[in-house]
Amino acid sequence: MPSCRGLGKTFRIDGRNVVALRDVDLDLPRASISVFVGPSGCGKTTLLRLLAGLEQPTSGVILRDGAEPSQAAAERTRVGYVFQEPRLMPWLSVARNVGFNLEGRLPKVEIATRVADILSIMGLTTFASARPDQLSGGMASRVGLARALVSNPDLLLLDEPFAALDAMTRRRLQAELVALWQRLSPTIVFVTHDVEEAALLADTVYRMESGAIVARYPNSIPRPRDATDAGIVALRRAILAGLEEKAEPTSVQPSTLKRGTAS
Amino acid sequence: MPTRVAWHRAAVPLIVAVAFIAAWSLGIALTGVSRALLPSPTAVLGAGLELVEGGELARHVRVSALRLLIGFLLSVALALPIAMLFARLRGLRAVLEPPLEFLRQVPPLAMMPLLILWLGIGEAQKVGIITLACFFPVFLGTLGGIAQCDRRLIEVGQVAGLSKGAILCRIVMPSALPSTVVGLRIALGQGWRALVGAELVASSAGLGYMIEDAQNLARTDIVIVGVLVIGTLGLASDWAFRRAIAATWPWVKVDGGDGDA
Ligand SMILES: Nc1ncnc2c1ncn2[C@@H]1O[C@H](COP(=O)(O)OP(=O)(O)OP(=O)(O)O)[C@@H](O)[C@H]1O
Ligand SMILES: [Mg+2]
Repeated sequence: MPSCRGLGKTFRIDGRNVVALRDVDLDLPRASISVFVGPSGCGKTTLLRLLAGLEQPTSGVILRDGAEPSQAAAERTRVGYVFQEPRLMPWLSVARNVGFNLEGRLPKVEIATRVADILSIMGLTTFASARPDQLSGGMASRVGLARALVSNPDLLLLDEPFAALDAMTRRRLQAELVALWQRLSPTIVFVTHDVEEAALLADTVYRMESGAIVARYPNSIPRPRDATDAGIVALRRAILAGLEEKAEPTSVQPSTLKRGTAS
Repeated sequence: MPTRVAWHRAAVPLIVAVAFIAAWSLGIALTGVSRALLPSPTAVLGAGLELVEGGELARHVRVSALRLLIGFLLSVALALPIAMLFARLRGLRAVLEPPLEFLRQVPPLAMMPLLILWLGIGEAQKVGIITLACFFPVFLGTLGGIAQCDRRLIEVGQVAGLSKGAILCRIVMPSALPSTVVGLRIALGQGWRALVGAELVASSAGLGYMIEDAQNLARTDIVIVGVLVIGTLGLASDWAFRRAIAATWPWVKVDGGDGDA
């Protein structure tokens, strides 16, 4: 549903221009899962922030449903955003954090049942009344995930949502996300550093590099998918090869390295 | 170990108090200073018991405490909405901030003569002094908390499509609460000081009046009773306030000095 044309974002840091996104053309078909991979600092979070309307592009446009200009439509689309950090309200219990976006919009009883459902999916039922500062990192990130999922968004933006989780929980929640997607068909934009995760979840994997989309990997392998499936393995290999090919030159140029660590 | 720490907590103040009273008695015995200048601890205790039995102390405490409570609540009722308006309306802030800053520099007691002129010497004037004294700590504490609100939490509300007002009420104000609470605690102390000052000048009841009246009658023992009661009530109200905050908002750290605040 949303699409980007010539999308660019340049930040100014200390009088210097930093190009976070350049000339991104992108179509996110309704009810598709698009996964973005790429090295740290390549602009993945910036892309999500633009899609969420938290940042204005310095060039190009974001169109909703192909035609409407972004601003007004952004308010009509329900957006769920799982930030790279949990961003929980420290003064609210886990349950109230999860129900935060629903409060005042739905009857209390309905909020309570929805929150209870999603907490049980996330394995957090016994922590419903805990405060955020009483949670582990992985638990806090699941609360952030639950908060985004509970409002059944049309557009679901996830920034490395499973990064803080152990392998088992990660696999279980990947399956839960796919199940939820099959049930409610939101349009999903998913950022990850885990290539296997990308291959398992995506309809299309996008590889980014210094603010640009440099490769697209369509993935029509039927679901449920298996990490050992030949097609998935081949896709993983292709993405990894792309990531490594570009990683090499940077690591052998000392001057580039120095600049990278200094900034 | 925790029990030892708890034991220390109770014992140390007690030992300090006993040592203080001993030094006080010893000082009087050695120097033979007159009763009018410094009465003995037992004389002060006697005066205190007398005041308690006669019901006088209770009456003064009640009058002072009620004034403090009303003035304090009034200042909160003014400071919080004005701070919220400042956060939303830049124009209003630009207009109101200079006069408020000006007023803040003036000690409330310096306003006494004016308040007496305008409000008389009754309750309104005393409550007015307390409100003045409590307002700025609450106001500035809240404004500071609002300014420090984490932008990333505000973005959570923006993505959820909350209105600016809803973001203010549901995200900014709660996140300012720890800073507001610091302001409230300072306000309670400031209000208490201003109150006693106000009662010293023009009143017919209250702890400040009790001290002033005792001074006129050369009853130094009663003056000391008054001082002790005022200090104790100040400590007790701060303690009760901290307990209430800890019970209502456990995430607000109010017990500094434990190394985790
Ligand atoms: N608010 C900002 N102000 C200035 N520069 C910014 C801002 N946000 C991002 N940038 C810059 O934009 C570039 C891309 O950042 P972004 O957060 O999108 O990277 P990322 O791909 O999400 O990286 P990571 O995998 O580490 O999360 C970086 O060079 C960063 O310094
Ligand atoms: Mg990022």
